[in-house]
Amino acid sequence: MKVKVVTRILEANERLAEENRKKFTDAGVFVINLMGAPGAGKTTLLERTIRELKEKKRIGVIEGDIEGTDDAERIHDTGVPVVQINTGGACHLDANMISEVLNDVPLGELDLLVIENVGNLVCPAEFKVGENLKAMVLSITEGHDKPLKYPLMFRESSALVLNKIDLLPHMNVDIAKIRKDARSLNPSIEIFEVSCKTGEGIDRWTEWLSGLGSR
Amino acid sequence: MHEASIALSILDIVTGKCSAEGYRSVKSVRVRIGRAAGIMPEALLFTFDVAKGETLAANAELIIDMIPLGGTCSACGDEFEAGNTYVLNCPKCGSTEFKIDKGYEMEIADMEVDE
Repeated sequence: MKVKVVTRILEANERLAEENRKKFTDAGVFVINLMGAPGAGKTTLLERTIRELKEKKRIGVIEGDIEGTDDAERIHDTGVPVVQINTGGACHLDANMISEVLNDVPLGELDLLVIENVGNLVCPAEFKVGENLKAMVLSITEGHDKPLKYPLMFRESSALVLNKIDLLPHMNVDIAKIRKDARSLNPSIEIFEVSCKTGEGIDRWTEWLSGLGSR
Repeated sequence: MHEASIALSILDIVTGKCSAEGYRSVKSVRVRIGRAAGIMPEALLFTFDVAKGETLAANAELIIDMIPLGGTCSACGDEFEAGNTYVLNCPKCGSTEFKIDKGYEMEIADMEVDE
């Protein structure tokens, strides 16, 4: 016998994400799901961002990695609360992993929570974790073909941070093409060109972040 | 390899419905997956077969209907389908103003059960 089901496959995850989101909203915390490939500079961007913003915003971080606590230690050194999740092999964070660590995150003491996803340009884009928005980091060394090769993440992200622009003189990378293709996939995406090494462009990014949640 | 998570979610949903409605087992499941949804069908089939053991869907076949990316042009009104996983221009008039409404599906359509 045939039975109609008609259910979104990730419905359970979406329900849990909605519960997480309600907890964040009740606590008055704005949440960003930060995604990008391994080595794009997600943690370095966060370190920079925290140092620039921590006088203005109370920031907390959840670090997602397959193994290890290196990233959490780096964030800990900036002086903000951080919780490390080890996925033990999973290529992305999901809403359940976040809800399991929420008791360790002092939501009442935060304005902004950044959830740094597992380094991966594909899977994290698929799973909501309860965020207000998704942002992604793409380093220019990854090449200008990435928006069209990995369209889903560019489509899902509200902001694209192009990192490592200090390397531009040494690279044959077409930033205009990255911008054009990203905008074609997602006309409203905000694009920031930064160097986490030199600090160039970080001010525009932190200014944008400062405005979030207070609109 | 997030296909494993997707396979587990499919199994949770269909075996849950199977036991809730008192059927004996699931014979097959049909899912609709958009071509731009980021799912590799081979990986989904493989992980589904690994994960289904000892569930009410232990003998179930997974049938995947792939849905092409498609949309409607805001300029000329053309309803188009794309062979790729992204669209940059309306294939008919070239406009960049269009709405994508197909190709990101990830849903279970129906299942065959033993009563």
